[in-house]
Order: sequence, then C-alpha cells, then structure tokens
Amino acid sequence: MRERIAITDIAKKEDQLVKITLEDLMKLPQPYDKPGMEPNVTEPKAEWKDRYVTELDGYVAIDVPWKPKTKEEEDKLVQKFLNGLRKLMDKEANWGFIQPLLLSLEYCARCQTCSEACHIYISSGRKEIYRPTYRAEVLRRLIKKFTSNGGSFKAKFLGDVELNAKTILRLAECAYRCNLCRRCAQYCPLGLDNGLIAREIRKLFVQELGIAPQALHAQGTAKHLTTGSSTGLTPDGFKDMIEFMEEEIKEKTGKSIKIPVDEKGSDILLFHNAGEYLSWPENIEAFAIIFEEAGLDWTLSSEMVGYDAVNYGVWYDDVQFSRIALKHAEIARKLDVNRIVVGECGHAHKALTVVADRIFVGEYQIPRESYLPLLWDIVKKKKLNLDPQKNDFPVTLHDPCNVVRLMGIVEPQRNVLKEICPKFREMEPNGVYNYCCGGGSGFAIMNSMNFPEFRQKVSSRMKFKQILSAFQDSIGPEVKKYVCAPCSNCKGAIRDILSHYNATANCGIHYGGLVELVVNAMVDLEQPYIELL
Amino acid sequence: MLNLLIYTAVVVFAVVLLAKFVKYSTMPIHLRWEIYPVPHDPRHKHGGSYYEEVEWWRKPRLRTLAGELKDMLMEMIFIKKVFTYKRPLWWLTYPFHTGVYLILLWFVLLFVSALIDIFAIRILELPAYYLTLIVGTLGIALVFIFGIALLIRRIADWELRSYSSFLDYFNLVFILAVVATGIVAWQSDTDFSVAKNYMKALITFSDPPSVALATQLHIVLLSLLLIYLPFTKMTHFLAKWFTYHKILWEDEPNVRGGEMEAKLKKYLTEYKVKWSAPHVNPDLNWADEASRCDLGGVCEVK
Repeated sequence: MRERIAITDIAKKEDQLVKITLEDLMKLPQPYDKPGMEPNVTEPKAEWKDRYVTELDGYVAIDVPWKPKTKEEEDKLVQKFLNGLRKLMDKEANWGFIQPLLLSLEYCARCQTCSEACHIYISSGRKEIYRPTYRAEVLRRLIKKFTSNGGSFKAKFLGDVELNAKTILRLAECAYRCNLCRRCAQYCPLGLDNGLIAREIRKLFVQELGIAPQALHAQGTAKHLTTGSSTGLTPDGFKDMIEFMEEEIKEKTGKSIKIPVDEKGSDILLFHNAGEYLSWPENIEAFAIIFEEAGLDWTLSSEMVGYDAVNYGVWYDDVQFSRIALKHAEIARKLDVNRIVVGECGHAHKALTVVADRIFVGEYQIPRESYLPLLWDIVKKKKLNLDPQKNDFPVTLHDPCNVVRLMGIVEPQRNVLKEICPKFREMEPNGVYNYCCGGGSGFAIMNSMNFPEFRQKVSSRMKFKQILSAFQDSIGPEVKKYVCAPCSNCKGAIRDILSHYNATANCGIHYGGLVELVVNAMVDLEQPYIELL
Repeated sequence: MLNLLIYTAVVVFAVVLLAKFVKYSTMPIHLRWEIYPVPHDPRHKHGGSYYEEVEWWRKPRLRTLAGELKDMLMEMIFIKKVFTYKRPLWWLTYPFHTGVYLILLWFVLLFVSALIDIFAIRILELPAYYLTLIVGTLGIALVFIFGIALLIRRIADWELRSYSSFLDYFNLVFILAVVATGIVAWQSDTDFSVAKNYMKALITFSDPPSVALATQLHIVLLSLLLIYLPFTKMTHFLAKWFTYHKILWEDEPNVRGGEMEAKLKKYLTEYKVKWSAPHVNPDLNWADEASRCDLGGVCEVK
C-alpha cells in the first residue's frame, strides 16, 4: 500500500514517515522471486529514537546524536539552519554551485519525469520521500519562504512548509537517501538537478552545523587529512603494505616487482583508493604487474593523503573537498610528475579530474586522467601477452556513475573486456544510462547502525536486479560468474549485496575489478590470478 | 491607452528577461558538473568524452556543432525527454507547447502581414493571409484544448497535485483566460484582418482600429500575461539555455593562464568562505581555507 505522504508532512507527522516492507520492494528475478530468499527488514532499536533521527524511514544515516532536547535547543537548531539556508544563496559562500542550484530551484515544472529515473524511488516500491523532487521541493519552499523578501506571503502562492525541528531533522536524513548518481538530472526535460539539491542540503548541514554521517566526516575527510587516510592507514602502515604486496606478487605470480614509491620526476603518479590496500590488495598488485610489464615510468606516494585517492568531500562538503583535492595536487607537484593517473576509484576520478579542475590554478593545474584509456592503450598495443581463454567465464560490467555518466569514459573498459573476456555481456541499461551500485555518495562506507540494511534492501536493489538479469542464462551456482566493478566503493557495495542475498552460494556470482581480469589473462601466469570458488 | 499597455508589456517582457539572462550569465563560474552524453563531443553517440583519450590534454579538442544542434532541436521541437521518459504526459504537453509555438509564429505572421500591407507587396498578401489563418487557428485550438487537459491532469493526478502550488494552477488558468478571450474576440474577426490592422497601427505608432469590448479585454489580458511571464518559471526556455549549454554540456577544461583561471583566482582569493561549522573558519578566503589541510590548520600545504 503506497502511503500518500505530502510535502507538508515532513513537519507534521509523528513517528516514521514511511516504513520499508518486503512486500512493497521492487521484485527481483529468479531465484529471488520466491518467498524466503532474502532476509526480512528489521525495526530500528527503540533506544535510538531519543538521540537519532528515526522519524524518516527508520534508518539512520547521520549516526551522530543531534536531536534537540529542549525548546532552546530546538530554536538554536532552527536558527543555525536558517543561517545555512542564507549561505546557500550567497555568491561567495557557495560560488561553486550557486548557478546550477538557483536554476534547479527556480524552474522545476513538477512534471515528475525525474522520478522514473531514480533507482531508489523505484526499488523502494515508489515511496514518496525517496522521490527526487520530495527533498528538493521542501528546500525550495523553505528557501522561498525564509530567504526572500515577503517570503511568508509568497509561500501562500508558491507552496508552504512549516519549519521546525522535525522538518530539519528529517530533511537532513532525506539528503542521505540519494546516491547523487544524477540519473534524474539526465532525465529532466529542463536540465534541472535534484541530485545537486540533495548535495546542497548535505552541505548546508555540515558546513553550517557540522552535522554529517561519521563515516564521511569525522571518520572520513577529517581522518583523511589528519592521519593520511580515511581507512586509518598511516604512512608507515602504507610502506609495510607495499612490502607485503611485493612479497605477495612474488608468491602468486613468481614475478619480482619493486613497487616504486616517492620516485621524484616520474611520468605518472598513480593514486589508489586506500580501501584497496586493506580489502583488495590484489587490485593494487595487478596495477603494479601491468604497469611494470608495460614499462611505464610511474610511482606511488607515501605522503599523508597521497596514498589515498578518495575525496569524500565531493559528496557533502566543499571545504573538505577543496582541502583534499589541493593536497593531492600539491603532492603531485612536489614529486614533479608529468601527470596524475587515478586507479579504480570512481568518485576520485570525478573529484580530482573533473570537479576539482576549477579549484586548481597556477602550478596546481597538473594534468590528470583515468587509468582506463591507459589500460586500453596497453592492451591494444599488445604490450601484454594475454590469452582470453583464461577468462572463460561469464563476465558483466558495472559502470560506476562517476566514471561514466559524470565523466564520459565508456568505451575503453568495454574494449578491454571484449578483448580478454569471451563471455562478456552487458547489463541493461548500461554506459551513461547505467544504474548506481547503491553505494554511491558514501553509502558504501556508511556501515553504522541500520544504514547497511537501507543500502542492501533499497539503494543497491536495482543493481542486484541488473546483475541477476545479466546472468539469467546460467544463474545456477555451478557456473562461476564475475561482476567487474572498476571502482572501489562500487565493489564494496556489490560485495555487500552478494553477501546479503547469499548470491555467491545461490548463483555463483563473484565480483572484482578490471585489472585483475587483465592479469588473470596473462599467458605467463601459471596459477589463475582470480579464484572463483 | 491600450497601445501604451501593449508597448509597456513588450518592454517589460524584454527587459526582465534580459535582466534574468544577465543575472545568470554573471554568476560565478560553477565547478565542473556536466552529465554525459555531451552532444558537442564527437564521441557522444556512446556517451564518451575527451577523457577517453590517453593524455587528453595533448590532443586537439574535437567539437561537433551538428551534434549539439541536433540534441537541442530535438528537445526544443519535440520535447524529446518527456517523449522518451514520460510518454503519457508528452501526449498532453507536446501539443500544448506546439500550440504556443504556433501562436508565437502567428504573431510573427501578423507582423509580416502588416509589413506587407505597409509596403504594398501585393504578391505576398494571399500566402500571408492563408498562413496566418491556418497557423492562428491551429495554435489557438491546441493551446486551449491541451491547456485544459494539462489543468485536469494536474488536478487529477496525485503525484502532480501533491507538488503543485497555487501558482502552478494560476499560470495555466491565466493562459487559458487569454486564449478564451482571444477565441471570443476571434468571432468578430474570423480572418484576423482586424488583428493585422491593429499590428499595423502598433508598428506605425498610429491610432489602432476600434475593437469590440471582448477584444479589448483580450488585449489587456494578453499584455498582463506578457508582463507576468518573465517573472515566472514559464520562461523556462531561458533556464534551459543555461542548464544545458552552461552546466550539463559544459566540459571546458581550466587551462593555466586562461581567462577562466583568472576568474577562478579571483573567487579563490577574494571570496570569503563564511560558513560557520567547527571545521570551517568563516573569515578566510577559499584559497586560505583550502590550504589549511587539517581541521586545526596544522599541516598547512607548503
């Protein structure tokens, strides 16, 4: 049963605005079309209600206790929020996004075309609060009412919404029910961007109130800047990892490779998501094997921040974003490299190469590119001796939004896969029209409280459906299959859905990156690099 | 008096629209925020960009005007995205917008017909007469019928109604009122000859022909609509120019020593951050704020 939640309900209703149930969720293909194939949804813990915001849908993304307890605290919250609203509209405080924000606020025709594009809205069973226009309409009404002359009068004609603690708390949570994949903006006939609006709301909360999920802020960008990596990996820890990986390469492949670190004057500075060092070192090792085999002049950096390509700021905070981006550029400048190449991390691609392009001036403007064209160049020019038969299993490709829709790199990865994977097949839709993995905009790393359940049940559901559909011709567990996800956070999100739905045991579905497939196809490797058990 | 209102309406419409154009044009350059496919890139058929090239900055930037024009015209003429993604709405909104285009064309034809009269170009009189008649009739019919249909849909469909404000309905009703009075006025001017003579008077700044009360009412409402339009989101054609050409399709890289870089330097060094969260110093400019690379400003970039 679809609840009819109105815009004004955000300020009024008690308890949860909506409830997720298995019955409402989008149906999945076989074998998940039968009852009992997926775990049930859970209730939020009763004790959370006093300190955390469970009033939206019961899930908690902002895992900091920020609920006001007294009338004074409520008033203070409202006041700070209003200050933030005004700063969103300020040319200096929001110079980087004020033009697209204003256009998106001013011209929405409320045609709801964007809703059809949103995997979260559709997967949830079309729950109103996940509609791309829901949070946007709330923000639009608040901005009109509180930041323009005669706002209260205008609100009577333009649409009103009450501003109280409930509105603010729910709006903040609601900003974290969007993956910022911007598929909705791709659909909008007027070219407006509800994904951007979700990010602007997040920005207001963190830059004015200091409120954001810990995984992004306190344990994310702040930790990145103070310890060197959001994973907590220190420069010494990084150096140990390098030694470990050199040994592992030797063990797995027999190759003696010295991974270059802090080599001044190299052609390439390669940036990896530090999550790879800890969770998927085989990805970093595969890069080292390929780059060395291809004879590239490259290096890694061991400097604080320099061994972690991530920039969570791109999801929620312009200040943190700028700090990290600048640090990355500074490290490249000091190493005197010709170019920065970004490894398998989607948001780092977009953050460093595209978005930060307009904060790098003077000597910070160092050429930056994706590893994907470089990898295709290596494969195309036969710099590696590859045998596609070594990858003789069904492979499908997940397109990371940041690399594809938001950066326009579509063909190189496909060219590589077509060359080395005889059973490669596309998911539908794909390329620039892909669906997000459900881990986008930080969801993949937001693992506290019950938020992972939202990811697994709702935001990653469309991707799971796509994966199952791509492998329907051999869905049984006896055929081992591979989802190629050339992005660290996407890989994490896919790992989690495969685990949640037990899809490796039920359907034989495995996951991994692109470079691992390339190394697996190398003729001189005696043992398979990828083990599909 | 009516003439004065019409001239005022045209001037207000043009000036406010121009002011809005200037407002959006002079806003700071936003951070890169494009979405692919970007149709002026020759790789746009598969959604590709110059980032698909190794060392893209060493290669010439390829652009195809044809690609951009094609996408632009498909959207302008056919409202392609609504057709592709929300077909049930397209069946209503497309004829409505076509009707609006035809009415605009009708005004142009009236203007041309008036000029033909003024300069006595007899050979063009008949084609102009029939063209004006056909275009005007069709435009009025489409806007009126599908305007009503859009209004009914907005009221009947919960997903539209729930998000609609008073003004969303008012805008449609206003347009319908203008067209309805136009239809009444049309009854006493079935071949638009009075309309043409009125246009002639406006062009030559002479006294207009006397018109019926219904026609006067129509002229007043039309003028008021013209004054009202640029203040509303109904001028979304202006927004679309910015959202597509200046945001979604804007893939211009920032080059050292370029014009864009000069502007960016100004923002970075002159604009204050202003935000007040604990990890931000509101009094610093963006460059200083960003180069203090930890929360306490300890590891400044050297």
